[in-house]
Order: sequence, then structure tokens, then C-alpha cells
Amino acid sequence: MTSLASGSVSIPQRRRSGLGFRDRRRFFLIALAVPAVAYIVLIALYPLVQGIWYSFFDYRLLKNGGRMTFIGLDNYVQLFTDNTGRRAIINTFVFTIGAVFFEFVLGLGLALLLWRDGRFNRICLAFLLIPVTITPLVVGLIFRALLAVDYGYIGYYLAEWGITSPRGLFAGTATALPTLIFIDIWEWTPLVALILLAGLKSLPGDILEAALADGATSWQRFKLVILPLLLPTVFLALVLRMMDAFRVFDSIFVTTGGGPADATTSLMVYGVKQGLQFFNIGYASAISNVTILCIGLMAAAFTLMIRRADVKANEQ
Amino acid sequence: MSSAASTLPASALPAVRRRRQTALQRRIMIERIALVAIILVYMIPVVWLVATAYKPPKDMFSSPPSFVFTPTLHNFQRVFEVFDVWSLLKSSIIISLGSAALSLLLGVPAGYALARSQSRYAIWVAYFFLAIRTVPIIATLIPFYLMMRDIGLLGTWWAVILINTTLNCAFVTWMMFSYFRSLPRDMEEAALTDGCTQWGAFIRVALPTVVPGIIASTLFCVMFSWNDFLVAMFLTNLDSKPLSVALLAAFGTKDITWGTLGALAHFSTVPIMLMALFMNRYFVQGLTKGVH
Repeated sequence: MTSLASGSVSIPQRRRSGLGFRDRRRFFLIALAVPAVAYIVLIALYPLVQGIWYSFFDYRLLKNGGRMTFIGLDNYVQLFTDNTGRRAIINTFVFTIGAVFFEFVLGLGLALLLWRDGRFNRICLAFLLIPVTITPLVVGLIFRALLAVDYGYIGYYLAEWGITSPRGLFAGTATALPTLIFIDIWEWTPLVALILLAGLKSLPGDILEAALADGATSWQRFKLVILPLLLPTVFLALVLRMMDAFRVFDSIFVTTGGGPADATTSLMVYGVKQGLQFFNIGYASAISNVTILCIGLMAAAFTLMIRRADVKANEQ
Repeated sequence: MSSAASTLPASALPAVRRRRQTALQRRIMIERIALVAIILVYMIPVVWLVATAYKPPKDMFSSPPSFVFTPTLHNFQRVFEVFDVWSLLKSSIIISLGSAALSLLLGVPAGYALARSQSRYAIWVAYFFLAIRTVPIIATLIPFYLMMRDIGLLGTWWAVILINTTLNCAFVTWMMFSYFRSLPRDMEEAALTDGCTQWGAFIRVALPTVVPGIIASTLFCVMFSWNDFLVAMFLTNLDSKPLSVALLAAFGTKDITWGTLGALAHFSTVPIMLMALFMNRYFVQGLTKGVH
């Protein structure tokens, strides 16, 4: 395909400048890509590299006149030894795994419900976009109000009927994190469903019909035919949600602020607190580098799984 | 599904067919009821947000919560007293449109170039953009904050636009890359052989075929910047702060209530929601193609 295309292009040989057609094409394409690459390198990559540099220093804007003192890996050691740091790491993993698991299970159910094509389902789909467009900040505020024990529509009755403690879900160290996970599930399950639905709609129709003609039950059809073919999309949805859930900040910031007693402090919340409230730049940089590293490792693991699933799906 | 019935001989088993069809109809009914229930779960908090704006302050904190109230515009009055709503709205619009414009200007040509390049490194550059999109904002925000402080852009719209554009440009590049890649290159190549210039082939031949992708990209850029508050909170000042930052402040002050938050949400949240509802086709495309 590509060799055929490039062959057909090189026929005319219009040599206006000294360059051949393919060279001019190549320079043109490079020129188009350069501004964006330069921009990202300057405004995103350069700060990132700076962040790595800062993480090896004791660098506080509000102490020692903002002088930088080299301290090696001490910032990283501190993250894994101080109580809040360890709590933040554990919380972030619990939050990510809990939220993504339920979002996937519920999202898959929702996608299967929406699979049937028709006007009704298209309208439903439009409504399910709403939670995706509301910023997590506002979602956090909405649930904070709804779950308030004295005047919230949900919180008042939960406390009144003795389902939760009288101080509310956000006030308990055991309930605060699960509540935040619930809010995340509420907001992002439709997104997972939309991604999975796109995958379902691209499945080859003839294979599905063949399974039906063979007399497979719905469950057999789902388990043996649909799910294996859907695996690449499943992993894609999982990796996207994992990366986003791992950086959770907004909803925590506006509901609990990381409390009670660090029960909901995530890595991002801790990093923002250290960096932009205490201006402890060195430590905050170490926290964000660990976050990036975790996200990178998860993304790499899932990309490998997507590749493997792709190969398997193609073999069938 | 309907093909199941059609694979049976049409006249042979009318009873079986009928039974299958009623079973199918019943299943569709159950599915629809489930979907409506799910949508209700999603609409209740949204309806609360909108309704709370019309609630009189005395009903706001009544315990037990009151469901019936006489609607009032008091909260909107309060919002306009406490906040300079038009200035906030102006900031939000400038920041999101500015970032969207800059992102498209950089991202669309880059996406095209990467999709059309024969180089085997092109895909890695595309992955690089995708990876940038997943970096937690805090990692770049702290050094960026210091950078803006040093060049004196701290507190201006430019600071917010510049940093929002990194994520948005990465998003647009990846999204347009996948759009252009899914389109055949025959037309451009035909145009090039007919003596069309490189620019002509890009702007007059390739661009018109990806208009849905450009619309979807624009919507997402606007949404990301409009909804962001972490960046804006630290990079803007009193004069340049957008609606999202004010939302956070709306309940920070003592005499401000959830009612004002609801009223303010009419300007900050409802427009984006309506945009998504009416342009849902493009949103779905963006979500599934552009890798949110």
C-alpha cells in the first residue's frame, strides 16, 4: 500500500528547486510538526526536567531565602518514610484500583445496555455525557452538599436512619476514601461505557451472527466471542482511567482537603500542598516524579497487554 | 438481533417466531427501564445544582432538608453583588478560546505531518504527545510557576493559556493524528501530482475532510480549559481569575451559600453541559478517538 502510494507520487518529478519531490514533501511535513514539538519541549518537557533537577535539592521558597542545597535522594526517602507520604501512596493505589474496578464492571454493563442501535439509545448516550462535562470540582461540591448531614438530601437521611455515623461520610476516617471512590465511579462510569461501546460497535458483525446461529446462549456469546474480541478496547479504557484516577486531586481538594487525618490524602493532593502551599519545591518535585513514574509503569504494563490482546484477537 | 429471526424460514415456524419477538420486545423494555433509571441517578445531582440557585436562603440549610420552596432570584442578586460575574466570564472565555486557538494552530498541522510522514519515528513522536497528555499537571505547574514569575507573566491570562496549551496541544495533535491516519491519502497525492502546492494539498484538500475532528478538538480544548481550576488558581490574580476559581471561592466566604454556588454554576457549568448535549456526536467522537 505505502510503496504503491509513494511510487505514484514520485512520477512527475517536478524539480523546481534542486530538491526532489519526496525531499520537499519531507521538509514540508517536518516544518508543520516543528512548532508543536518545540512548544511542548519548551513549556512541558523543560519544566519536567527542571522538576527532576529540583527533586535532588532542599529548595524552599519561604526558607533560607530560597537557596538550593543538594541533598541527593533525601526527598524521595522522606516520601517513603514520613507518615503522610506513605499514607498518600497507599491511598492513591486504593483509590485507583477501587475506582477503576467498579467503573469497568458498571461501564461494561452500561455499554451492553446501550449497544442496541436506535433513537432511544442515542438520546440516552447524550445524557450520559453530562457527568463527563461537569468539572470534578463541581462534582465534588455537589456531593459535598448532598451528603451534608444537616441539610443534604442524601446525607441527612443516611445519618437519620443510622446508616452512617451522625458526623457524615466525609468525617469518618474509614468512610471518607470509599465515598470519594464512589464519587469518582459516579462521574467516570459513563466515560468507560462510551469507550467500550465504541469497541462493541466495531466488532465484526459476521462473527457475532455466526455465534448466534450456532445456538450459543447470551452468556456463552459474551464470554467466548465478545469479550476476547473486546479485550484491546477493555485495556485501553482501563489504562486511560487508571492514569486519570492516579492523579486524582479536584474532588478530594474540595470535599475533604485530604483529611480526616490524611485518610484521603492522595499523591497529587500531597504534592500540591507541599509545592504550592508550603512552597517546598524540592519535596513536591520528588512527589510528582514518583507519581509520573507510577503512571508510566502502569501505562507500559497495559500497553504490553493491549499488544498481546491485539495479537490474540487477530489470530482468532 | 433481528437477523436471528430472519435466519429461520419465514413461513415454517410462525409460533416460534412470534414467541421470539415478544421475548425480544420484553427484553428491550427491561433494558430501557434500566437505562432510564441510570439516567435518573445522573440527573438528580445536576437538577439539585440548578434548583439550588432558586432556593431562598432560609430553605438552604433547613434540617431536615426541604423539598418544596418558593423560587427566588435572590441568589443571582447575591452573586452579582459579591462577584464581578462579567469579568469572570470574560476571563474564562479568553482563557479557553485563546488556548483552543493556539492548540489548534500548533496541533492540527503537527497531527497531519505525523500521520502523513513515511518516517518510522513519526509514531514515536505521536506517542510522545500522548505521554505528555498524561503527565500530572503538578509536575509542570511548579517549575512553570517559577518560570512565569521570572519573566513577569504571573497573574496574566497568558500564563494560563500557555500552560493549558501544552496539554491541549498534545491532545489535539494525537487526535488529529488518528483522524488523518484513518483517511486515505489518495486525494492529496492526486492534488500534488496535478501541481497543487504542499500548502494547498494540506489546507484545501486534507483539512476539509477532517472538519468533524477539528470541531471535536475545539470542544475538548474549550472544555478542558474552562473546567480547570488548579492551574488558574495559582497563576491568575484577582483581575484575571476565571469562573472556575470563583466557584471555589463561592463557598469559602462565610455569608455565601450553596445558592450562590448554584447561581454561579449557571454561568460556569450549564453552558458546557448544554454544549455537550447538543453537540453530543462530536463529543463521543472526541472521547473515543482522541483518547481522553
